[in-house]
Amino acid sequence: MGKVKADFEYDVVIVGGGPAGLSAGIYLGRKGVKTLLIERGRFCGAKNLFGGVVYTESIKTLAPEFPNVEPFPCERQVTEEGYLILTERGYVKLTHSKEDRTHSFTAFRAKFDPFLADVAQRAGVDLAPKTKVVDFLKDDDGNISGVIVDRPKSFFDSSPASISAKVVILAEGVNRVLSQKAGLYSRDFQPEEVVLSVKEVLQLPKGELEKRLGLKEDEGLALEILGFITQGYPGLGFLYTNKNSISFGIGVFLSELAKNRVRPYELLERAKTHPFFQRLFEGAEVLEYGAHLIPEWGYKGFPKFYGNGVLVCGDAGGFVNPLFKEGTNLAIYSGLLAGETAFLALEKGDFSEKTLKVYEEKLKESYFYKDLALAKNMKDLFLRNKHIFSTYPELLYEAMSLFFSAQGKFKREVIKEIITLIKKKRGFLGVLKDFLSFARLFW
Amino acid sequence: MSSPSNQLARKNFLIIILGMNIDDKISSVKFYVDEEYAHLKIKNEGTCLRCETKPCLFFCPANVYRLSEEGRIIVAYQACLECGSCRVACPFLNISWDYPRGGMGLAYKFG
Repeated sequence: MGKVKADFEYDVVIVGGGPAGLSAGIYLGRKGVKTLLIERGRFCGAKNLFGGVVYTESIKTLAPEFPNVEPFPCERQVTEEGYLILTERGYVKLTHSKEDRTHSFTAFRAKFDPFLADVAQRAGVDLAPKTKVVDFLKDDDGNISGVIVDRPKSFFDSSPASISAKVVILAEGVNRVLSQKAGLYSRDFQPEEVVLSVKEVLQLPKGELEKRLGLKEDEGLALEILGFITQGYPGLGFLYTNKNSISFGIGVFLSELAKNRVRPYELLERAKTHPFFQRLFEGAEVLEYGAHLIPEWGYKGFPKFYGNGVLVCGDAGGFVNPLFKEGTNLAIYSGLLAGETAFLALEKGDFSEKTLKVYEEKLKESYFYKDLALAKNMKDLFLRNKHIFSTYPELLYEAMSLFFSAQGKFKREVIKEIITLIKKKRGFLGVLKDFLSFARLFW
Repeated sequence: MSSPSNQLARKNFLIIILGMNIDDKISSVKFYVDEEYAHLKIKNEGTCLRCETKPCLFFCPANVYRLSEEGRIIVAYQACLECGSCRVACPFLNISWDYPRGGMGLAYKFG
């Protein structure tokens, strides 16, 4: 590998200060590796948005004392979690209580990521916020050997500064433009491969959140919402309780929004007219609105995870499992593996593909890679089979309405009515087919 | 299923009663606007004029893309939430897309 001249020299440069980049940084910092993390936002988390729930297990890999940290970077512990299935006027709610009260917490990215950034800084990582990576630095052989940023070299020289690195870890998020530039992806993602989510943080008058949702002050609710919430388009809504506010959002495949010319924030407003949310959000004030893409290209759209002098992790690598609401923790786990691999390469003194290939091997052994391989056809199923988002929510609601409104009627008639309903809405063969195609995802 | 006229009535109801306005939503977001660098640009205006569906007027979560009275697309990049949708969902890939410069653009308080 040829030597390059740069304005600053580091062993590892990490692009992106979200949970993936910070996790890689924390690992390397603790190993004493000279690491620089570059973040384009004003602080780590400034550009980030999620639902969102974080899981204690993955956070403990970075901060073992979590959740006993001050100041606490999360909102509420999740004590009730499940699904809310909506029809135009009604709903079916299916939730479970959580025994382990420290299992997961609701959080805000702009508050949680600074906590991880603090851990990284204490581990010895240099943070460079307000800085955007615009290109790679390459050696004589054309291998990546650093980055070029949109900051001047010095007070006297306004040309862009360069930073050399033996390994560049790309944790740039869903818009993986640098990973593409590095040749790890052969093409850009398609609108079918991402979900566009819009979210509002809604503040309720004091005490109302607990009253309206039947929670105590130290209890929290996490709901995934299916059906009318997306007007039948493939996607999901979500509702998470924070300390004094509610995170409420809707995500629909970008291709569906574009094709059907749907404004995502109109879906949000329309959902608020549903009796369930009308009651819940009465008198609520919008603290913040936001939007973000969720990478759902998954296994079929995976990149090459490594190249000469470069690794990719987090959203940029496609590490999101939408069905099980895993994003932040996959970012953490993949970031840690990228960190481990970079450290291994430094020990060996070889930063070529041959050594960095270990990263792919580590990924393939992980539970989340196997999960994503298992569910590789899920996105296609959701885009193809729209009954999941319209027919079944209605069917379930109507069947339950019949089942529980049967006074003065012979019960065999009620069951007959329910059977007729299923036949009319989807047909037994249809139900069987849908069930099999869903079951096949996991076998 | 509600009829199209019903749907329209409902939509009007929403706009009037709830004051649904994307500008109100955007005003809840903190921006450090980069007046010197427009990070979103239309590559070729003629392509937009020929584009029949103009989906950008709909899918953009910040309503960055608006139609002028003469039928041209106006880009209000100052309100951009930097999600990247327009980068891939423009049917002609006619948007030159970049992030704002380091430290500029959107800064979530919650996120």
